[in-house]
Amino acid sequence: MNFRWTSPGFFRNASVAMVIVLGLGVLFAGCGKKAPVETDEPLPVEETPVTPVDNTPVTPEPPKEDPKPDYSSMDPQEFGVEDVFFAFDKYDLDGEAMSILSRNARILREADVLVLVSGHCDERGTVEYNLALGEKRANAVRDYLVSLGVPSRNLRVTSYGESAPFAKGHDENAWALNRRAHFERP
Amino acid sequence: MKLILKTRMITALVVGLTLSQAGASGPSLAQQPEVGLSVTKTAFEKIDMLMDPLDVLSGGLAAVTDADSLQAVMDRDLRFSGLFSTFWSDDEVPGEAALQYTIEGTVEGPLRDQRLTGEAQPTTVSLNLLTYPERQLILNKRYRPLPDQMRATAHHFASQVIEMLTGEPGLTMTRIVFSRGSDKRRDLYAVDYDGANLLRLTANRRLNLCPSWSPDGQEVAFTSYRDGQQGLYGLDTATGQVRLIIALEGLNYGADWHPSGKELLLSLSHVGNPELYRIRPDGTQIKRLTVSPSIECSPSWSPAGRDVVFTSDRTGTPQLYIIDSDGAGWRRLTFYGRYNESARWSPNGEKIVYATREGDFTQVVLMKATGEDRRVLTDLSWRNCEDPSWAPDGRHIVFASDRTGVFKLYVYDVVEDSFRQLTFGSDPDITPDWSR
Repeated sequence: MNFRWTSPGFFRNASVAMVIVLGLGVLFAGCGKKAPVETDEPLPVEETPVTPVDNTPVTPEPPKEDPKPDYSSMDPQEFGVEDVFFAFDKYDLDGEAMSILSRNARILREADVLVLVSGHCDERGTVEYNLALGEKRANAVRDYLVSLGVPSRNLRVTSYGESAPFAKGHDENAWALNRRAHFERP
Repeated sequence: MKLILKTRMITALVVGLTLSQAGASGPSLAQQPEVGLSVTKTAFEKIDMLMDPLDVLSGGLAAVTDADSLQAVMDRDLRFSGLFSTFWSDDEVPGEAALQYTIEGTVEGPLRDQRLTGEAQPTTVSLNLLTYPERQLILNKRYRPLPDQMRATAHHFASQVIEMLTGEPGLTMTRIVFSRGSDKRRDLYAVDYDGANLLRLTANRRLNLCPSWSPDGQEVAFTSYRDGQQGLYGLDTATGQVRLIIALEGLNYGADWHPSGKELLLSLSHVGNPELYRIRPDGTQIKRLTVSPSIECSPSWSPAGRDVVFTSDRTGTPQLYIIDSDGAGWRRLTFYGRYNESARWSPNGEKIVYATREGDFTQVVLMKATGEDRRVLTDLSWRNCEDPSWAPDGRHIVFASDRTGVFKLYVYDVVEDSFRQLTFGSDPDITPDWSR
């Protein structure tokens, strides 16, 4: 919670600083214009622009044009990252997986946020081998994303094997949904 | 130990040879019970035991209940061993059976006014094993159990009886630890070998898997995501305290204790893919055993602690291999089937049980450690059968099956080719490990 609170605060402070800078810019522009003409009247002129400058920090307006949401408090799905799926007993990436991952890479480069890639398997096979297979899948995804420029420090991997299935069925439809690399908030 | 399936000429004694004997210099077929009784029965012919009702000397109804409970537990213990038939009166004995032994005893419960003090008072239990019909005393034990120690008392005496008559202690004091729950919330539980006395061992609301008893039973090593990342932990079975053993980046799992109790074998993947390592119980590394880009997992020590059977997918499919404790001498063990995994070496070293895939289902297979005599123990009516683990008697195997739609634990009797369900309830039970 602490982290989630401070991060937007930082953005807010940044925009406040922008407003101050802009305000000061107006002030100096005014000064620059008037100061050379009448050396006696800087004080009354100064008063008017000073008031808005003082007010701006008091009104904590949320940043209207903030370009960057707080990705670290969101599930990766919320900012467009998609899971990828695997063939039975395989951990290599097919064409579809690679095109999903290149979209993911673009988003993750932009977001610059730590995500956890968890590898999953269908229920067939054993707990122990599936833990290894799940990790292979997660590693394949991480390695491909790194090759596309996602900083490796932003990618952690884990495996749940067959222990945390997404679909509960016992047929190929369910199995196909469970053979995946899932992106989650760490 | 010559536990040859479907061979009718082995004696009950031979079936019972223990891990320690097998681990030394091979089987000692001359093993005889100390009393020198000549038990020469085939594996399918059992020792016939008369269960004489225990005499209740004092303690009223509570003592009668205790006596019933003691006898019922001993009766189940003897029958579950596979080595005994039990009878509750001479009349029940069928023609071909010949009673050889009897168990009798007395129960002295605390007096009523002692119960009123509020503190639990011990009962005095005296149990005897005698020959039948001569009624020659072979074994006498006296116990002072508290009310919640009746089952343990019965298990202990049954163990003594089985050891005296067969040369090994049997399973009555053993337990099975396993993982219960679903999705990312699975806790460790332990249950007596007969399915009673279910106890929850962890409660961290995370994924806890793949427990392994230390040989002395004092610690269970297990894999847990209790700190988010996967690590190997040790649970003190007396205090419930959990300690971290090792948590490197990646997987830290599949631990199997060395028979000496001085080291563990497991898979670690911090180098990028799972490799086998030997570590000390404090988590420091002894030796890395495999170096390959493939998956190496599910290691199991041979009972002598000199070789390791494990899974590798270096050929593209998971298959079983054997290496020595230095990682040398790779030898492929399975050539049949495209998926062979979860191997466990039998206590006498002669057999290996493992899981194989047949179609969409996983089945349990037993074969010689040489790779010969492959036999599938389960069929498709069992759906998936996984994670087999040997009982220390080398005769029983526990495994998980979802034949009812949810994974529960079952015990297979290798000699009788029979099954019994060990755990019940609606939560999945997986990755069992039988204490030694």
